Formats: sequence, C-alpha cells, structure tokens
Amino acid sequence: MSNLSKRGLTTAVICSGPFLKLGQAQARVFGVSELPLLEIQHPLGGQSIDGVKARADHAVAQFVKLLKEKAQ
Amino acid sequence: MSALAELLQAPGVSIDADDDFDAVNALVMEKGWGDGLPVVPPTEARVAAMLEYCDRPWDQPVAKIPPRWGEATPLRLAANAVMAGCEPRYFPLYLLAIEAMCEEPLNLYGVQATTHLCAPLVIVNGPVAKELNINAGHNAFGPGHKANATIGRAIRLALLNIGGAIPALGDMSTFGSPAKYSYLVAENEAESPWAPLHVERGLPREASAVTVIGAECLHNVNDHESLDGEGLLTTIAGTMATAGSNDIYYKAQPLVIMGPEHAKAVAAQFSKAEAKRFLQQHATLPVGRLSKDNIERRVKVTWKDRLPAPKPEDVLYAVQRPEDLLIAVIGGAGKHSAFVPTFGATQAVTRALKTADGRLAQSVADFRKRR
Repeated sequence: MSNLSKRGLTTAVICSGPFLKLGQAQARVFGVSELPLLEIQHPLGGQSIDGVKARADHAVAQFVKLLKEKAQ
Repeated sequence: MSALAELLQAPGVSIDADDDFDAVNALVMEKGWGDGLPVVPPTEARVAAMLEYCDRPWDQPVAKIPPRWGEATPLRLAANAVMAGCEPRYFPLYLLAIEAMCEEPLNLYGVQATTHLCAPLVIVNGPVAKELNINAGHNAFGPGHKANATIGRAIRLALLNIGGAIPALGDMSTFGSPAKYSYLVAENEAESPWAPLHVERGLPREASAVTVIGAECLHNVNDHESLDGEGLLTTIAGTMATAGSNDIYYKAQPLVIMGPEHAKAVAAQFSKAEAKRFLQQHATLPVGRLSKDNIERRVKVTWKDRLPAPKPEDVLYAVQRPEDLLIAVIGGAGKHSAFVPTFGATQAVTRALKTADGRLAQSVADFRKRR
C-alpha cells in the first residue's frame, strides 16, 4: 500500500478502531505517514453479511470523500 | 577511544544516565522500554563485555524486526541482552535466534502483530545447548535456569524495544501469553530415542542450532495408562485436534513435545516418520464440532477443494501433511507429552550457529577468539 501511495495513486487503508494506532505506526515506518486510514466500526469478524456490508459502505463513503478532495 | 565508545557517540545511540539501578529502572519504565520487570542497566562496560562474543560489525543490522522493522544491530541487541540479565557468552546464540525468527517463512510480522496469542518459541540443539546449560529436562519451560530465562527474555526485549511489539500498538494480541516473557528451551537429546530436531531438519549432528516456531503455549498430554506406543499416540492425537485452533485452518507446522518416557515407548514401535504419519491421520476433528456459521464461512472457504460440501462426519486435520508435524523430545521423568499449536500462518525456521566466515561453531568461545 505504501508503494502504491508513493507512486501517486490515491491510497487508503481500512482499519477498525483498535487497529488505528498500528496502522499509523506502520504508515510512518513505510514512509507514508500521511496515508489516510479509513476507520470502520470494530469488530469486523463475527458479523453477519449485513454487518460487513454496513462497514464496507462506511469505508466506501470515506474513500469517495477522499477522492473528491484529491480531485479538487 | 574504543570502537564501542566511538559508536556510542553517534546521535541517538546512547543516553546519559546515572549508573544507578533505581535511576536507570525508573528511566526505563518512564520510556516504556521493556517487559515491565526490572532490568540490568546497560552501561557501556556491560555492553562492551557482551560484544566480546560478537564477531560481526557491531553497527551493521543482522535483521530487521517487525512491526517497526527496527534494525537489529549487534550493539542494540547487546544492550537488550544486558538488560535481560544475559551472560556475555550467551550472545552468539541470542543473535542467531533473532536472525532466524526474522526470516520470511516465520512471518514474524504476523506473529508479533496478530490478535492471536503466539510468541516465537526457540528450541536449541547441539553442543552449545549443553555448554550454556540450557535446561532440556524437568521444568524446561519453567523457571530456574539462567540461560533459558535470560536469553528468552532478551529475545522478548528485542521484539519490544527494536521491533516495536508494544501492547495495543504493535502487538495486538487479545490476551498475550506468559510465553511472551521468555520462551526458549533445549531438546533433551540425551534422552531422545530419535535423531535430534536439527539433524532431522537437515543440519549435521555436530552443529548447534535453533529452531524457531510461531507458537502458542504448550498444552499437556497426560497418559499414565497406555502400555504401548500406539496407545500413547492415540492420546496425543486426541489432544491435538481442537475446535478453535489456528492449525485446523492453515497448512501449519505444529509441534508435539514428547516427554522422554513417552518417546521411548513410542520409539519401541514407531520411527519418528511413522509416528508423524500416525498422528497426522488420527489428529482429526469432525466438522460437526464446529458451528454452522464457522463451517459455512471458514471451512467451505479454506478447504473448498477437499470439502466443497462438508458433512458433520467429515474431518479436519490438526496438521495437513505428516512432514509438516514437528516432534521434539523435551522434559524430565513423567508420563507426559505436550502439544504446541501455532499461529498457523507461519513456518518453522532452523538455522545453524556459524561464525562470521560461515564455519559451524564448535563453541561460543569461537566467537570470542576471532576478535
């Protein structure tokens, strides 16, 4: 993901709440400290398909917003 | 000025502190450097003594430790070894263990950062295990032996301080594990009826070696009643296959530890390869022991080729192929064995102890003589 970001592609990583700090630390380690993290509700495991879809929708909405911001 | 003193002058390499046990420990706790236990202050003199047993360049990384991917230089490792209470002569084996666990097949990133409770288990074979008095007998996984306790702890300190496996930051384990304090033993080669683990894994008998496994804690197998090897293997197999184990979902390499008494009884009937075949075939879990959702969402996905439409009486295997099972003989007297499940997405790594010029080390003294 960091390599894609460094190539200039709009890139983001989806994290549930407890994993945001790990995601931030990894982004720093790989030299992309500004890499957007799209937060979804925790947990992702043990969810019905509807629960997974709701989290996906939440992530997609954040990513669309990010794309629009990049386009401006 | 000594070579070490020069290295310590580089920015960020060292820190000024009073050479006082309480003051240094207060600083370590404040900085969050460590495992929560008091440490031996890593003074220049103590680090220098540790590096007397290192024949590599002290400032060149031997590995990068995830998830921070921090550079494990001998200098940094020596400081952590001092903090853990290691004797300087332990250093070559400690450095080897770090190198081995950072090799790609072990997937140390996964082992470090996962929500699972695994930790790198190090099994030592060969003459250096005896030279360093690494316990392979009674209570081998427990307290009481300096080498087991401090080399294992030094590994954990490197994983924390260099690798950044900080709880809830770089180490997301739901529970953690006592094995994350120290997890290092030797194989009890003297009491084993089979070739040692490192020989089975392709190294010469005279080599000293480490085998690293991304492992859970061990689970005991009590069998005081079986009168032959087949009976003992049946009990061990019954312990291996459990719902909720990562190994039933992956092409994993779990470990069976046989106590010497069990091993001798098994060896009377089975070669090690035959014992592995028996255990692989008999360590099975009926699919019906899993929940409906787990079957639908995990079994049908993971094992879709073998079990496209699993029935309750179909079986899952604790280990997928006989050759993937590791067997080691460890422990003292008693009718016990143990099963060590793994993280699953990890493969064991075995590496020999060699000097910098690539020769098999006969003794840790080889590393000191060469400077």
